Amino acid sequence: MTSSIPGQPLPQGVKTASSVQSPLTLVMTIKSAADSQALNALLQKIQSAPLDKNPIWAALTKLNTVHFARFVFLENNTKLAVITSYDGTFEDYINEFIDEIGDVFNALLAHMTGAPSLPVQKNRQAFLDYVRANDLRAIEPFFSAYPTATVLDIKAALGS
Amino acid sequence: MPDLALDDVQGFIVRTYAMPALRVFALRVEHAAAAGQLLGALVGGDPSVPQLATAAPWGAKPEVCVNVGFTHTGLAALGVASEDLASFAEEFVQGPVARAPRVGDVGDSAPERWVGSFASGAVHALAFLFAQTEEALETATARLRAACAAGAAFSELSMYDARALPGNVAHFGYRDGFSQPVIDGGPPPLVPDVLPKAPPGEFLLGHPSQYESFVYPVPQPQPLGLNGSFVAFRILEQDCAGFERFLTAASAQTGLDRELIAAKLVGRWRSGVPLALSPHAPDPDLPLEQYNAFDYAPTPEVPGAYDDRRGDRCPIGSHIRRMNPRHSAVAGNSGLKRRLVRRGLPYGPPYDPEHPDDGIARGLLGLFIGVSLKDQFEFLMSDWANKGTFAPGLRGTRDPVLGDNSAPDATFLLPIEGGRTVEVTGLSRFVTCRGAAYCFLPSVTAIRYLSARATARAISVGV
Repeated sequence: MTSSIPGQPLPQGVKTASSVQSPLTLVMTIKSAADSQALNALLQKIQSAPLDKNPIWAALTKLNTVHFARFVFLENNTKLAVITSYDGTFEDYINEFIDEIGDVFNALLAHMTGAPSLPVQKNRQAFLDYVRANDLRAIEPFFSAYPTATVLDIKAALGS
Repeated sequence: MPDLALDDVQGFIVRTYAMPALRVFALRVEHAAAAGQLLGALVGGDPSVPQLATAAPWGAKPEVCVNVGFTHTGLAALGVASEDLASFAEEFVQGPVARAPRVGDVGDSAPERWVGSFASGAVHALAFLFAQTEEALETATARLRAACAAGAAFSELSMYDARALPGNVAHFGYRDGFSQPVIDGGPPPLVPDVLPKAPPGEFLLGHPSQYESFVYPVPQPQPLGLNGSFVAFRILEQDCAGFERFLTAASAQTGLDRELIAAKLVGRWRSGVPLALSPHAPDPDLPLEQYNAFDYAPTPEVPGAYDDRRGDRCPIGSHIRRMNPRHSAVAGNSGLKRRLVRRGLPYGPPYDPEHPDDGIARGLLGLFIGVSLKDQFEFLMSDWANKGTFAPGLRGTRDPVLGDNSAPDATFLLPIEGGRTVEVTGLSRFVTCRGAAYCFLPSVTAIRYLSARATARAISVGV
């Protein structure tokens, strides 16, 4: 945090007091091969839509806390990873995150082993607990070329 | 419009009383049975005890309104079962001493420097007396004290007085009290608000909240939690002389007009006219009902709003834009999801610039109400007042009025026309916390429940 409050613990995993950014490496375990195929079809459909019709794109645009985000299948399509770089702490904006992108996670989590109770909108603490338990974060330090800049800072500087 | 049981809800959660006197009593439960009887009388129509003010419509405005809140230790003292105590939100269970670092209550604001018994956990309850006249205040005070003394129900640990100042200004000289969320299903506001109405569950437990398909967990059992709310009560001392000296120095430092700097820090001129509507000089003809009719970006409600994304008119880091960003771009798109009901009044006499260092304490008895202390009050203090990352270009600066600007390099960023930003230094901590309590604000039903618990507990332990 640029302006960490004395006595306040730094967000988990952030080693330097100068970074406002955090890594999310959420690795979710898929229930079965059939679920994997269904997930693949779902993500292909979402991601191939025009950007203004892509719910993930729209949600992350509105949130203004996520620098980069991508979905990757791992380990022979038995796991799905969501890898992002985001501002602040996940917990502080958990409610906003769920409000913007909760339905996408409802659709994804239906195919996951150990998923929290759904919908995530009504089970917010369970969703937060699930993310914490399945977020591999990073082997520190988490590199950033501009560790003190937020998404909003960068967009403002670019005039967008 | 949601059908709220307004006669079950404590009045000050949803209604602006607009009364000029406030007296706050910090109380401790001494004998649970007697305390239980007093709570029963408070909501039972007993004419000898001031009656709790609810949000039910009032015909004639009363002379006095009484409201009560209980700390976590207070609920325990009244006999709430331990498993039910544990069902309250974590930040309320922990209390403001444990949460102080998150809120920014450090250094001069740290709990070890607080007055009264606020740092010790000895405060069990707060009683809030709002009054139209001094006479009504004293009459109600005498009756409340007599009721507390009956059966030694409550002891009075301390008492705090606040009074409206001439012109309805706060101590730094700004006219205050315009911006207040309007709760859907509650009474109409005193000053119209152009922002969308707040769902009732943003301020009352058990109703749909500001978050999609989400109701904040209701503390158990249901009769105790439903229709309740929470308040952060804070004694906020204001350094008027320091603030005025800073304005003089900042004017010399920047060459900008002193009152323009004063307006830029807060987002309003001292007359209360918002910079968003009146950027160059305070418009003396702006009607009062327009003082809250603005936004920082065009919206359906304010289509003609100036797109102030850079803060040219109202700095992004100014006090009112931090505390209520409206439709500004903020992290999480959360500008309308963190609102607070603000009650309270100033304490201490008006600041006299002829006697800047008169040694008299001045400040605000502040009541910050919401369904979640963590997501509303604490979030505002930690993310919006004491960090500079939630909005663009703040570069780690803090709220110039409310933030902890005790660091020597504390800076306020003041955008000026032509695309330049002036960095104003020389800030200090102008507002210091002198005491705080987190209180649950139970419904009328819940006060009856607490009354019964306290009586039963006293019998079970043979008091």
